[in-house]
Amino acid sequence: MIHPFLLYVDPGSGSYLVQVIIAAVLGIVFFFKNIKLYIRSFFFRSKKQKDNPPD
Amino acid sequence: MTQPITHHPSSYRDPSGFIFEKDGTIYRQVNKSFKEHFDHFIESGCYKHLIEKGLLIPYEQVNQNLTGDSNCYRTLKPEKISFISYPFEWSFDMLKDAALLTLQIAREALGYEMILKDATPYNIQWYKGRFIFIDTLSFEKYNETPWVCYRQFCESFLGPLLLMHYSKQSLQQLQLAWPEGIPLAVIKSFLPWRSRFFLHMYLHIHLHADIAGKSKSKNETAKTFSKQKLLNLISSLEILIRKLKLPDQKSTWSGYYEEASQRSDYLEVKKNIINQWLNEIPAVKTAADMGANDGVFSSLLAEKAIPVIAADFDPYCINNLYTSIKISKERNIQPVLIDLSNPSPAIGINNEERNSFISRLDADLILALAVIHHLAIGKNIPLKKVAELFHKAGKYLIIEFVPKEDDKIKLMLRSKQDIYFNYTEDEFIHAFEEYFFIVKKQQITGSLRTLYLMKKRNQ
Repeated sequence: MIHPFLLYVDPGSGSYLVQVIIAAVLGIVFFFKNIKLYIRSFFFRSKKQKDNPPD
Repeated sequence: MTQPITHHPSSYRDPSGFIFEKDGTIYRQVNKSFKEHFDHFIESGCYKHLIEKGLLIPYEQVNQNLTGDSNCYRTLKPEKISFISYPFEWSFDMLKDAALLTLQIAREALGYEMILKDATPYNIQWYKGRFIFIDTLSFEKYNETPWVCYRQFCESFLGPLLLMHYSKQSLQQLQLAWPEGIPLAVIKSFLPWRSRFFLHMYLHIHLHADIAGKSKSKNETAKTFSKQKLLNLISSLEILIRKLKLPDQKSTWSGYYEEASQRSDYLEVKKNIINQWLNEIPAVKTAADMGANDGVFSSLLAEKAIPVIAADFDPYCINNLYTSIKISKERNIQPVLIDLSNPSPAIGINNEERNSFISRLDADLILALAVIHHLAIGKNIPLKKVAELFHKAGKYLIIEFVPKEDDKIKLMLRSKQDIYFNYTEDEFIHAFEEYFFIVKKQQITGSLRTLYLMKKRNQ
């Protein structure tokens, strides 16, 4: 389906296709970034727990 | 007498509605064709959410079809924007914040199954001390397609920011040359080769320009695009934009007041005179500080709850003023980047779409402090033309005359030939009296300079 507002805001030929490609790349990038952040937060949290042992 | 409605000259692209003026008030008509999207925008709570977050301009619904148009679905009366400014009048950080605001709105709208269909900086305006989104009709139901205005965003926000970031120069004029956004191929050609080694920049500019340039003949069908993909796209743009900055640079004028304040109590005396005169000018509701520098005198007016347009041609001064307003949350100062010797022209279709700076400006009071010599001597503009400029801009004028014997002018004349035989106080009075009545005059003690309070003659 062509977007109904294509005629008045020209998204530019190729900009839909490029978004599909970019989204695929970003999907991989953010996937690994999230893993990295998760691991970092895991260590950070465990370190914090070590520093402040429960009463 | 009721006047007929006037369509706003810049509101012609969008079939979902338009802006019009009636009896001096701005309204927005929502067309029947946009009913489904508009209803969803309201009923889903998206509108309420954006208003509560202060991201979108609020409107009042008018229960009347003011245009008499059979296509009218709703008539809205948006809150008034006191002074419309354009992206080529914004400093680097202003454009950056406008870009981030657009992305934030796109992200928030997705939470309500809505997508922003228009990402032009012209939909962002200055409202009560910060930027706000003004187009209530830019939201439509999300239908799992890629972002319709992705290229528009890259060309009109990302491109100019990247060019300024890499060149370390203020390039607002480029936005005036390409008001619809700088073409991707142009942006790409200006960026250094190394810029393609940054992933987000490579994707949004280099790859984007390559693919968009090559597939012109292909008939594109919209691909299915999940919400997560769209959010990733927005995040990527945000990561990239947040990293961009214009290096701190000491411009010719930043630090001017630090230096000026060392000259006895020059600034204090000037402030006292202006304060005194402000009490004598009837009802100043709007003001413009021409050559505002870092806004010392704009603040003087802002403290009295007078909204001030602080205009200066130095992008670093305006950027500093903007960042200080962000911190202080001052609501009455609107920074704009304007070269008084070449104020923004009218642009767009029939030269009516975006008005010129002068025609947008209608201030009760104009401040022109320590600016006359920069125009008359720095730019060789005859005093009469300067008088004409201020006459067009406002009703009252507080202007500082700087005589040739002043140290600053001596400094200017060191590097250029003195051809300014007509630059005298008598000639100044003569030129300005054609356009203004001189109400008051007072010398600034401790300097050779004189302040004048003038009232516009109606010609």
